[in-house]
Amino acid sequence: MTELFKRHPFLFLDGGMGTMLQAEGLLLGGVPELWNIERPETITAIHRAYVEAGAHVVYANTFGCNRLKMARTGHTVEELIPAAIRNARASGAAYVALDIGPIGQMLEPTGILKFEEAYDIFREEIEAGADADLIVFETMSDLLEVRAGVLAAQEHGGGKPVLVTMSFEETGRTFTGCSVASMALTLEGLGVDAIGVNCSLGPEELVPIVEELCRWTTLPVIVKPNAGLPDPVTNTYNFTPERFGTCMRTFAEMGAVIFGGCCGTTPAHIRAMTQVLSGMQSAERHPEIPSAVCTANRVVTITEPRIIGERINPTGKKRFKQALIEHDLDYILGQAIQQIDAGADILDVNVGLPEINETEMMTLAVRAIQGITDTPLQLDTTDPQALEAGLRIYNGKPIVNSVNGEEESLNTVLPLVRRYGAAVVGLTLDKNGIPKTAEGRFAIAERILNRALSLGIRREDVYIDCLTLTASAEQEGVMQTLHALHRVREELGLHTVLGVSNISFGLPDRELVNRNFLTMALYAGLDLPIINPNVESMTAAVRTYKLLANIDKNAVDFIAHYGTAPAPAPKPQSTSMTLEAAISAGLKSEAGTLTQALLETTEPMAIVNDQLIPALDKAGAAFEQGKIFLPQLISAASAAQSAFEAIKSHLTATSSETVDRGTIVLATVKGDIHDIGKNIVKILLENYGYRVIDLGKDVPYEDVADATEKYHAPLVGLSALMTTTLPSMEGTIRLLHERCPWCRTVVGGAVLTADYAEKIGADFYARDAKETVDIAKQVFGN
Amino acid sequence: MIRLTAVDMPQAFRYMGMAADPDETMRRLAAECEKRLLASILPRYVHLVCPIRQTEQGVLCEGTTLLLTGADIAAHLSGCDRAAVLCATLSSGADAAIRQAGAADVLAGMMTDAMASALTEQLCDAAEAEILAGLPGLHPTWRFSPGYGDLPLTVQGDLLRTVNAEKRLGVTLSDSGMLIPSKTVTAVIGLSARPVPKGKRGCAVCNMNQTCPYRAKGVHCA
Repeated sequence: MTELFKRHPFLFLDGGMGTMLQAEGLLLGGVPELWNIERPETITAIHRAYVEAGAHVVYANTFGCNRLKMARTGHTVEELIPAAIRNARASGAAYVALDIGPIGQMLEPTGILKFEEAYDIFREEIEAGADADLIVFETMSDLLEVRAGVLAAQEHGGGKPVLVTMSFEETGRTFTGCSVASMALTLEGLGVDAIGVNCSLGPEELVPIVEELCRWTTLPVIVKPNAGLPDPVTNTYNFTPERFGTCMRTFAEMGAVIFGGCCGTTPAHIRAMTQVLSGMQSAERHPEIPSAVCTANRVVTITEPRIIGERINPTGKKRFKQALIEHDLDYILGQAIQQIDAGADILDVNVGLPEINETEMMTLAVRAIQGITDTPLQLDTTDPQALEAGLRIYNGKPIVNSVNGEEESLNTVLPLVRRYGAAVVGLTLDKNGIPKTAEGRFAIAERILNRALSLGIRREDVYIDCLTLTASAEQEGVMQTLHALHRVREELGLHTVLGVSNISFGLPDRELVNRNFLTMALYAGLDLPIINPNVESMTAAVRTYKLLANIDKNAVDFIAHYGTAPAPAPKPQSTSMTLEAAISAGLKSEAGTLTQALLETTEPMAIVNDQLIPALDKAGAAFEQGKIFLPQLISAASAAQSAFEAIKSHLTATSSETVDRGTIVLATVKGDIHDIGKNIVKILLENYGYRVIDLGKDVPYEDVADATEKYHAPLVGLSALMTTTLPSMEGTIRLLHERCPWCRTVVGGAVLTADYAEKIGADFYARDAKETVDIAKQVFGN
Repeated sequence: MIRLTAVDMPQAFRYMGMAADPDETMRRLAAECEKRLLASILPRYVHLVCPIRQTEQGVLCEGTTLLLTGADIAAHLSGCDRAAVLCATLSSGADAAIRQAGAADVLAGMMTDAMASALTEQLCDAAEAEILAGLPGLHPTWRFSPGYGDLPLTVQGDLLRTVNAEKRLGVTLSDSGMLIPSKTVTAVIGLSARPVPKGKRGCAVCNMNQTCPYRAKGVHCA
């Protein structure tokens, strides 16, 4: 890239290709890439017109040229991309870019495309485009898809410069909700060569978006707008070349350096643009980018204390360990949601356990958590392989927890932090252990910082943990930790992290000790307390500190949380309420509390058999009779679920016994992503004490058979919502008949009928969730 | 740009199979779901008005690659010399809101899903009104979507490409024929200079007509 800029104060790109092709007769809905071989002269002529208008770079006609989109054309990527590059080269352009647009299939979790598959689709395009001079991703909307593409380009592109432009709506976000700041933080971290915006809007609407981008990146900024906005009736764009050219001056004044046009722009627009900009110099930019981490949809700046939730961690938690061993992701998601609702700004994710494959679990957990929340994550592992797996698929910029002062740690962890553009926690310990004094820890912090800087990691991305020792064992060490923390903050100017709860180990009233230590640490300069945010007094201490330290201006946040009177104490009648009444009224927390009380006097299984199940049966009967409706049935089931969770925790803590009336495998079939019905069935079955192995949605046939084999499940439930996915249901059943002849199948879904269920070989058809439970009782004889 | 500021709640509760008035607890949960859903969607539509021609293979949208096959769409568009091809979506923010709500609470997930379905209909109504406002003097048929009657779902790909829905809305089609984001509708509206018999979107062309819970009770969904 630097070489490109040596030749020109600005780099000029070309304008619209689709616009020009339609003028040449391409039908709406036609495949532009086919013209690379059907009408190569037309394509070259269009490129040449842009070169003559002043473009240094032409984008080869390869925007949609991936294996999925080309499948129906009968031509391959290997055939079309080299042809496109030859056509572009023949125009005499100084540089030819391999142009890569979105794949056209959405990635999980909204869509069904896997990250690895997206990577491979891009890899194929990049290898076919080996003769290009640079690689451009444009009109991108999904940051995760961009990440897959950039990694493929960097790992298979032979060192070519990689440029990325995304398309933002006037809300400042892409269709998938990605913000300008998230794009900048993530892609600059990944090491792309230039970033910017294209398509979606005209130059005037893009002004605030480009301004924002210039604040968040030190990379060269690209601006490639449409020719204004489209006329809804004629589909033509409203900016004349002159008006377009004049507008582009604004972006040069903001400091952008790479310019072109998108939909509706023609060689005349590009000519006008190059004329306006020639002789101009771009404004110098010196953005001050704060320390920050992000997901695609949310940026958390470390400009004030931010809470890192510590609960996703199996250490000392039997119930959590059990969830990990059983791959019970719902339990982990429950922990995530609870902490976010309580006030966590970032979530620590530690899923290491000797009994499980941590690399696989890290991938599953990061994917699942990112599917349901936009809170940034801190990947907490000592296994470099698990760390890299998490970093690869993380959508945004995470924190790595952690590196320490030992050579081996510095040599393994920091290169990964640099490669994937993360922030990192540095622990002030090394092969000699934790230094007793503040000076010793400060020295290690400095060493970690210097090594990070030498690898090209920004100072703002290094957070130091001066390590909390327990006050009961090393009382004199408490102040040493805080002194070290203060020095790191003041002298090195780094942000600081501290796991707080360890301070009170072995002492009575731990919460009291934790809270006071937290306040002391915040005053000493702690930015990132790692705490249990579900303990209200801890979260409250952070909020109070922010108020007193004049961070929470006018106490807005404080008053929002504590300004109204606390909720009235639980209604007195709830003490006399029965579990059955709580369930039928759908009162979740009451059902949980009542169960906990019952567990003190009653056997767990007796609660299940004598209270929980009769209550559910009653709700189920009322539902069948039309006295209550589906939302009320689910509401009762949710209350029963919290009763069940109390029983499960009790059993895990006190015995090896589990509630198990039999194992059922559930899946929404391959190709289908509508899983609400399946989730309703799941919760009801679990309420009745069945162990449900939930394989999720879009599940390959083999995965269903594998799980059925592994658990030797007597019953498999399959759901499908679309007529187009019913064949997948049939295929799954066929495979189950071959591989698991013992199992019975129950099917359901909006478009299914009993006749069709029989035709595809299912043993049972369930009209609704309640009927599935009846079938399970029949199959298991309980 | 269309703004959707409230969910058609009675419709959403009907989608949930709720035939009675929701109680206070449920209404509160619904209000919370509605707030989160409205904050995360980005309702958008694109459309194209083009001349149409009835051919032996089907109804051809001129200037495009879109060919609408089957007897039902041909009958639907008879008497029309133009059609508006429409794609409308709540965006992937709706899917995210449904996932988020469902992870915390199955009922909230189901409610959010039903509300998003109701909002999609509201978006289509608003889009249609906006489109027709720009076409004074033309009379519309009702919205006919792929999958109704014998208009195959396989036409979705050509329909999306014709209105450039991927680039302009972020709408994609899975191999299994699903529109993603899931709260997306495509439709064809016939346009005629003379009033057309409006007909009614009846059960005959609905792909739920074998399994519809409303029909089972002898009533209609809308």
